[in-house]
Amino acid sequence: MMESLKLVVVLTLICTVGGALLAVVHDVTAAPIAAAAVKEKNDAIMQVLPECDNNPGEDVVTVDADGQTWTFYVARKAGAFVGAAFEAVSNQGYGGDIVIMVGVNAEGSVQAIEVLAHKETPGLGAWISGESFRGQFAGRSIAETKWAVAKDGGDIDQITAATISSRAVTQAVKAGLDVCTANMTALAGNQP
Amino acid sequence: MTFYKELVKGLWKENPIFRLVLGMCPALAVTTSVENSLGMGMAATFVLICSNIVISIFRNLIPAKVRIPCFIVVIATFVTIVDLLMNGFAHELHNSLGLFIPLIVVNCIILGRAEAFASRHPLWLSIADGIGMGIGFTLGLTVLGATREILGAGSITVWGDLKWTVAGYEPMILMILAPGGFIALGCLLGGMNHLQAIAAKRKGTIFTPPAHLDCRSCVMCKFGK
Repeated sequence: MMESLKLVVVLTLICTVGGALLAVVHDVTAAPIAAAAVKEKNDAIMQVLPECDNNPGEDVVTVDADGQTWTFYVARKAGAFVGAAFEAVSNQGYGGDIVIMVGVNAEGSVQAIEVLAHKETPGLGAWISGESFRGQFAGRSIAETKWAVAKDGGDIDQITAATISSRAVTQAVKAGLDVCTANMTALAGNQP
Repeated sequence: MTFYKELVKGLWKENPIFRLVLGMCPALAVTTSVENSLGMGMAATFVLICSNIVISIFRNLIPAKVRIPCFIVVIATFVTIVDLLMNGFAHELHNSLGLFIPLIVVNCIILGRAEAFASRHPLWLSIADGIGMGIGFTLGLTVLGATREILGAGSITVWGDLKWTVAGYEPMILMILAPGGFIALGCLLGGMNHLQAIAAKRKGTIFTPPAHLDCRSCVMCKFGK
């Protein structure tokens, strides 16, 4: 009886101390963790948008299209609309979701894209985050581009041996750009 | 003197990866690059030293019957602390290691050292053991990571600033994929046994590797004969 009581007491004590320690550390790190996540997102937004002087991370417009909610981060310079960024997600990749941040300028063509997260094969599909693949999206609009990889008769050069990953990115960017182009006036007209 | 002995044994003689063959899960999973290997090694070293200290201090208070749950709680606490601190203050590193941090909890090296060493030895020796084993683990991971990154990516990059490329080499992608981990580890283990066998022969003694690592007890190739 005394022995099992000792077991209970010791284990309880250790767990309590451990729990208390974790509570303190969580308290200390909660703010930096949240700040790091916000900064990471804002950095990605700023990288794909044209030059602007507002904070696009907080200038948000949501649009519902085909049962999906798209969040647009609006960029302004001296109050005038200069572009919008949005996050496009594809589940058509080779391994897990591909998350892409796409920036669009006021004319409706792509400013830049940035791959935020992916689990594609290192050395093959992982090159979707490389400049040589991402760069070719710049300046493309819905009207003047055949949105498919070259293998499927489109304008985007796929990465050799990574057609599936290339196709996934192309389709995700197009889907978002479709919504963005269709709602351009609403985005431009929105006041902060 | 014993402090020094416990410190250096982890580097070579009882290297956790190449001699004890513990912690194979992170050793195979994160060694796709030197950067990941170093990060994982340092995180595991921190947890190892902390858990060794705590377990050594309380080694006489922890009843033998519940020692494993106690060790696990202590280790899990430190792992979560590392996870939170890294997420808050080294966010980039956390992004690439995030998946593997929780795995340190079940990393056999840490529980193994707690059970085999810290729970039986005084504080100072346990700290030495933790530091030595941690550095040995980090070294092992880094050697493995460097081998795989050079062969698989053709270059070594550490925190974006230090980049070293092998000119004119076509990377063998297999090496940074999962099978490459097994191939590289197997070749390194075999190579180390071979080197030690040669060294022992020169000294006129007979080298006996740990039974489970002994090439001579295996008949897969002609070297086993």
